[in-house]
Amino acid sequence: METPAEQQTPPPSSTGIKSDQVSGLVLVALAIYIGWLNRKFPVGSLADPGPGYVPLLLAIGLGLIGLLVAVLGGHSRPLAAIRWPEGTRAVIILVACTAAGVALEHIGYRLTIFAFLVFFIGAIERRRPLPVALVSVGFSLGSYFVIGDLLHVPLPVGPWGF
Amino acid sequence: MIETFNDLMLGFSIAFQPEVLVYAFAGCIIGTLVGMMPGLGPLAGISLLLPATFGLNPIVAIVLLAGVYYGAMYGGSTTSILMRIPGEAASVMTCVDGYAMTQNGRAGPALAIAAIGSFFAGTVGVIGLMLLAPTLATFALRFGPPEYTALLLMGLFVLAYMSGGSMLKTLAMAIFGLLLGMIGIDIMSGYTRFSFGIVELGDGVGIVSVAVGLFGISEILLTAGNQDTPQVQKPTLRELIPSKEEFRRSAGPIMRGSLLGFMIGIIPGSAHIISSFVSYGIERRISNHPERFGNGAIEGVAGPESANNAAATGAFVPMLALGIPTSPVTAVMIAAIMIHGISPGPMLIQEQPELFWGFVASMYVGNLVLLILNLPMVGLFVNLLRIPYAYMYPCILAFCILGVYSVSNSIIDVWIMLMMGGVGYVLRKFHFDLAPVALGLVLGPMLELSLRQSLALSGGEYGIFLERPIALTMFCLGGLLLLLALKPLIFKSKDWRSKVGLEDEEAT
Repeated sequence: METPAEQQTPPPSSTGIKSDQVSGLVLVALAIYIGWLNRKFPVGSLADPGPGYVPLLLAIGLGLIGLLVAVLGGHSRPLAAIRWPEGTRAVIILVACTAAGVALEHIGYRLTIFAFLVFFIGAIERRRPLPVALVSVGFSLGSYFVIGDLLHVPLPVGPWGF
Repeated sequence: MIETFNDLMLGFSIAFQPEVLVYAFAGCIIGTLVGMMPGLGPLAGISLLLPATFGLNPIVAIVLLAGVYYGAMYGGSTTSILMRIPGEAASVMTCVDGYAMTQNGRAGPALAIAAIGSFFAGTVGVIGLMLLAPTLATFALRFGPPEYTALLLMGLFVLAYMSGGSMLKTLAMAIFGLLLGMIGIDIMSGYTRFSFGIVELGDGVGIVSVAVGLFGISEILLTAGNQDTPQVQKPTLRELIPSKEEFRRSAGPIMRGSLLGFMIGIIPGSAHIISSFVSYGIERRISNHPERFGNGAIEGVAGPESANNAAATGAFVPMLALGIPTSPVTAVMIAAIMIHGISPGPMLIQEQPELFWGFVASMYVGNLVLLILNLPMVGLFVNLLRIPYAYMYPCILAFCILGVYSVSNSIIDVWIMLMMGGVGYVLRKFHFDLAPVALGLVLGPMLELSLRQSLALSGGEYGIFLERPIALTMFCLGGLLLLLALKPLIFKSKDWRSKVGLEDEEAT
């Protein structure tokens, strides 16, 4: 799904590197990396395949297809036509989720999710303090009650028993 | 036939148990809400609910998750029609004429026809499932490792041929998924492969973390910057009633969409998405007034909505009869059943008749519940859409972390989810289809095991695949499809995608 910002941006000229050429070459690089990782495992023979046999076959297949995507990708969109207007926010989201993942087992579910929501709704989205507090407290306690207490799914609890 | 009827009665005796009814009802409601919310499609919804099913009995668990699946198919149409926002990918085609009808003041009939079409298609799908799955399962009892190898390979070729986008990119994604499936301990040799020293990866990469990352997180990464709180129309109950002319024009598309969707649903890939595109293309092609399409043709709502619901049910046929997922959703549902110690496959219907027939009967009930609930409650449901996205997406993210962590209480799963979210975000920017990754992940270990078991059986002779008629037939069919898929690449000709307008839509 393209974002509105992408739809409004006029397409750049049709010259230059194409998106499929880049993605094809990335696939080839990935295939080479997997082939390199696979060197540790015995490939065996055609008649008696070892643990490295199927991964090697797949890496070769991925490399060949990547090459075809790159070679036939001359008519795809120019790489510069791909816009990343939401890129910064996407990175912030991934970093914040990573931090939440680290915190989850250290300070428990409720505190982590409370801090996570305060960060997003209060700091990133700049909403008023009262709704931020209500949503953050309500969601963290409510979801713990439903998932943890009612449905008996074990959720991490912090060192303070909370 | 009498035996089928008796089995169905057994199913209804289970489906009408209060506990099963309550969970079917809950699944339908959750599914409708999930389908309406951009960024939380049926797959993410099912994945997030999975941990909550651990403590339930397997019948209730699968009824709940299936309810979420077909409920999401219903729910997805509401936002498409009222706001031109597809709640999930299968509703993209409904946006075109559904929203045009809303602009023409006919939102109510569009919603009603979408719901009636979905109900009819869901019912046709369940009848098809009921008749086809047991027959297919009986046939599949003859399958050994060579037949499974052939079947899985054929499935991958069908996936490539029927993919909505580029065949090469689809194959690349399927191989990427198969490679992800190679992570973990190799059952036949005991080697731990590609685990990077992480003990938790010994068991392989879980489908839930990959699916939530690829489909849930990546969607949020793409849409998180949206600040708009959309204006929503709330049609009254009286406004929902379609005119006689609208009923007449919808009947054919609903029937065609139901049959087409069910057939496409059985084959691997993003069937519910493809079926709605194909149905729309067919309806536009056979219409006497193709110029009305795009300007509020009710056929453009009736056909695709029926098709995507029938396809959702069709996908359960190979899942229950063969134990093979044909879509990411069924892959997660297989994981859900296996958690309860039940292996889906040809023996499932014989060994667990209560589960299979209870599930089938619950789908009849679920479809009826959705029809009865959705139309009168559409005004209530659309209130959810008034919640600003700035509040919504952090809560969805929190649910994603919670759901994935809870599956095996492992933080590694959360890292995998985030990694897959980032990968999925970039891949979507480059117009790669993500469904084959999730399918490949599940099919990879099955394919490798059946291939190596076949060779062990034959003493290393590949002739075993040619000596067995079922395997040979499947290989021939797979090869034929591969050739058909390659034809447009070699001869620069148009394939079925351009005939149904799928490439045009992909490009936009």
